[in-house]
Amino acid sequence: MDLTAPAIELTDLDKFYGTFHALKGISLTVAKGEKVVVCGPSGSGKSTMIRCINQLEEHDGGTIRVFGTTLDDNVGLIDEIRREVGMVFQQFNLFPHMTVLENCTLAPMLVRKTSRADAEATAMRYLEKVRIPDQAQKYPGQLSGGQQQRVAIARALCMQPEILLFDEPTSALDPEMIAEVLDVMVTLAQEGMTMICVTHEMGFARKVADRVVFMDKGEIIEEAPPEDFFGNPKSDRTRLFLSQVLGH
Amino acid sequence: MTAPAGSARLRRLRKAYFGSPLSALMTLLSAAILGFILWKLLDWGLIHATFDASGTQETCAAKGGACWSVIATRWRVILFGIYPYEEQWRPALACLVVAGVIVLSCLPRMWSFGKLALTWTIGTIVFYTLMRGGILGLASVNEQQWGGLPLTLFVFVATGIIGMPLAIGLALLRRSDYPVIARVSGWIIDTIRSLPLLSILFTCAIVLPFMLPGFLIGEKLYRVVFGAALFFAAYQAEIIRGGFQGIPKGQEEAAKALGLSYWQRMGRIVLPQAFRLALPATINQFVIAFMETSLIVVVGFMELLAAGNTAFKTGEWKFAYAEVYVFIAAIYFAFVFGLSRYGAYLEARMNVGHRKD
Amino acid sequence: MAAPSIWRSKRFRGAAIQAGFVAVLVALIIGATLTARANLSAQGLTSGFGFLWKSTGWEINFTLMETTTTDPYWWYLLMGLLNTLFMGVIGLAGASILGLIVGLMRSGRNPAARLLGTIYIELFRNLPLILQLFFWYALANALPNPRNSLAFAGALLNARGIYLPGLVIGRGTVALAVLAILVSAALAVWILASRRFRQIEPTRQRRLALCSTAAGLALAALAVVLGHDPSQPWITMPKLAGLKIDGGFRIQPEFYALAIAIMTYGAAYVGEIVRGGFKAVGRGQMEAANALGLSPWQVFSRVRFPLAFRAMLPILINQYVWLIKATTLGIAVGFSDFFMVIASSITHSGQTLEFIAILMGGFLLINFSLAAVLNRLNRAIALKGHQTTGAT
Ligand SMILES: Nc1ncnc2c1ncn2[C@@H]1O[C@H](COP(=O)(O)OP(=O)(O)OP(=O)(O)O)[C@@H](O)[C@H]1O
Ligand SMILES: [Mg+2]
Repeated sequence: MDLTAPAIELTDLDKFYGTFHALKGISLTVAKGEKVVVCGPSGSGKSTMIRCINQLEEHDGGTIRVFGTTLDDNVGLIDEIRREVGMVFQQFNLFPHMTVLENCTLAPMLVRKTSRADAEATAMRYLEKVRIPDQAQKYPGQLSGGQQQRVAIARALCMQPEILLFDEPTSALDPEMIAEVLDVMVTLAQEGMTMICVTHEMGFARKVADRVVFMDKGEIIEEAPPEDFFGNPKSDRTRLFLSQVLGH
Repeated sequence: MTAPAGSARLRRLRKAYFGSPLSALMTLLSAAILGFILWKLLDWGLIHATFDASGTQETCAAKGGACWSVIATRWRVILFGIYPYEEQWRPALACLVVAGVIVLSCLPRMWSFGKLALTWTIGTIVFYTLMRGGILGLASVNEQQWGGLPLTLFVFVATGIIGMPLAIGLALLRRSDYPVIARVSGWIIDTIRSLPLLSILFTCAIVLPFMLPGFLIGEKLYRVVFGAALFFAAYQAEIIRGGFQGIPKGQEEAAKALGLSYWQRMGRIVLPQAFRLALPATINQFVIAFMETSLIVVVGFMELLAAGNTAFKTGEWKFAYAEVYVFIAAIYFAFVFGLSRYGAYLEARMNVGHRKD
Repeated sequence: MAAPSIWRSKRFRGAAIQAGFVAVLVALIIGATLTARANLSAQGLTSGFGFLWKSTGWEINFTLMETTTTDPYWWYLLMGLLNTLFMGVIGLAGASILGLIVGLMRSGRNPAARLLGTIYIELFRNLPLILQLFFWYALANALPNPRNSLAFAGALLNARGIYLPGLVIGRGTVALAVLAILVSAALAVWILASRRFRQIEPTRQRRLALCSTAAGLALAALAVVLGHDPSQPWITMPKLAGLKIDGGFRIQPEFYALAIAIMTYGAAYVGEIVRGGFKAVGRGQMEAANALGLSPWQVFSRVRFPLAFRAMLPILINQYVWLIKATTLGIAVGFSDFFMVIASSITHSGQTLEFIAILMGGFLLINFSLAAVLNRLNRAIALKGHQTTGAT
């Protein structure tokens, strides 16, 4: 793994579900430290794309390169990449049978072989960062949605990944909880984390994104810095989408 | 790039069957086990088997496969037990009647209380008349001479007919608003459920006569059927209770607010919905009840399984136990598998209905 | 307005109905008991439990401890109860292990294994247990006679049973050794699973569990060594002597036919429960574990199985109670379980009511305590708080 290479390089990525063409030749490069926001209508393939990056979905064509390492069906490589790429899900996906602290220390201890004391210290540091150190001994089911999502972010951070993927992290949350999660994400962005973030929070995109990517029907339609994307969209489809998202 | 065609499908298949060393090992192992068993069965049951009634132990052994001759010569004992030989058309007809009634009540169009009750009453009367005789010029045949498949079906049907109302009663008692009644019926249900069915059948067959006044003792068969029904009811009551719990609380409250009486609420609102929710589990319970009818061999009845046992207990067929058991197993399997597939079909149908509302 | 009649008072009516309900039940029980006593004393039988201390005068064919015909009824009942528990433990353990394998095959991704699992479940679940039992028993009895025994790695197989090479040790020693192993295994499971041990390093935790198991094994070995009679040889091999087999350790056809029947039949049900449990685990949790870089085994052992187990346990409890009750089928082939001992006692002594009461009490005790222990476990491991993310 070469940390000077671009963090993520997708070239001509293809993905099929049966005969359904979900990704049609996607190409995207993300440099280290860059923050990319991905948006687009439902079913356009946003989740599929970022799930291909850590191989939760297998791609059918094209190449995926993470820090210069090309993904093929070598299982060892997939493990290596998953160690460096954290992911935050829409539905949080915390492990309900473990405490918050155990959720955070599980992977560092099992995958990185960190000692329990170190893993717990790291976990507490990140739990403080997402502002819920006092919930460490609770179970996920005892927390609010916003708290759960912040635990999920802390859990991903505990592996000290180089890249974080977010798949609509706020769309399962009530409005008053969205802000607390976005706050954490803004802090992370400001600290220089490489992020790919699928979200419809356009305020967040304006504030932190280096680039906004618009997808529709399995293709990247437009890719631009936020000022241009919101101020001067080139494609009609982008304009239509923006009017729907920002319209009301 | 176009959609992955033939070669990609092949790739996917290869991945499914040989995706990892473990998967490949499992594929090979499963194929080997399946192939071996299938081949052995075919070889034994068909290729080297003797089918005609004239086969004997020697001729069958010479061919090396199954000796279906035992079925060819003794099938009437297996199916009808010691029912008088010349009268055996009656149990045969009776079995068909019961089968017809069961198939009829599986049709959704028959699902109203009136229709079901009518079909089952008529079916039971016809069955009983045919089996017992004594009227309409039919020779009378005592219950002690009943045996084989009709006895199995009789016990099953009677268990259901007696057990179902009992189950509804117990379930309603258990959710009664009167705490003492709810508590006590809960104890009764839990106690019956933690006793083995065999011990209940045994008690009914052998102990109950001591405990009942003379006029209530009755035929052993009916006492045993009552025991089986009681056991069925305890389990079924819990299934119905599960159905009650699945009904939104608002339903009964709305009915109360409309001024419906207890029986109107139960009969029109609560029970129909509870039954709908409990239907898959209920069918499962019927499947189990059907298989458990075979337990009555232990208290001395000649139902299908026991009749089969007698078919090879005679010296000349002693070697042919496997053939007889396979024959009986096929009968049970056809019935049980059919019923449980039907249950799965209903469940799928209900789930589709649910998604719509 | 006239004062409402007492019958219209809700409280009075409630009390009256409940009192009536209980009164009818009590009257039924008392009536039945009185009739039974009258009928039995007409046959010259005295009621009461004094007969428990009389010797029986007949034999049981399978006991775990030394038993003779001069032993009293209470000892026979105890032996029967022990047999039921023994068969229950073996049957449940076998059904669980086999069922786990079948369930995993059914919920895995390999279509060939899935097919095999499906065939197994459909075949064994859709035939009456007693039919399967009769089949296994007939098969066991159709084996060759002792002189033509099938030999297999020192073991002999014939119509009289399975003869295994055995250690020459007393039954008490065996009981002690088994106890030591069971206790240490339970301790190991507790160390691995209990919250109390979550604080220490996983490697130390595993080492501790290993130590506990090793200690148990060592203790068992010690018991065997101390319990061995030095004048006897260590090992006895089954050998043909005339028309029968001498030496070795015999497993009777009644015993293993019932054990096989319960295991294979139970496994079909457990397999379905296991599959249901795995189906209930949300895909999201597994994806999250994968995304964290956990290996397939770690995903299975840390996330998938613990969650599936929580989903299965409540249904498993009912299945286990059912399987324990199924040991009563022993009477159909002549294995002396609790029920068969009771049935024989009734025919020999005529003390019907007392034995039926003991039978019911025995099964209530076994099943309620089994359910109580498992329900406690269920509560202890239940997921805390509200579960928002469900299946699929
Ligand atoms: N496992 C699957 N099997 C078949 N089709 C799938 C599967 N997963 C996704 N799809 C299809 O692929 C397309 C892209 O799905 P994807 O989840 O990537 O969309 P999305 O852009 O994330 O949408 P949303 O905003 O609703 O999350 C959709 O049309 C979806 O129906
Ligand atoms: Mg999505």
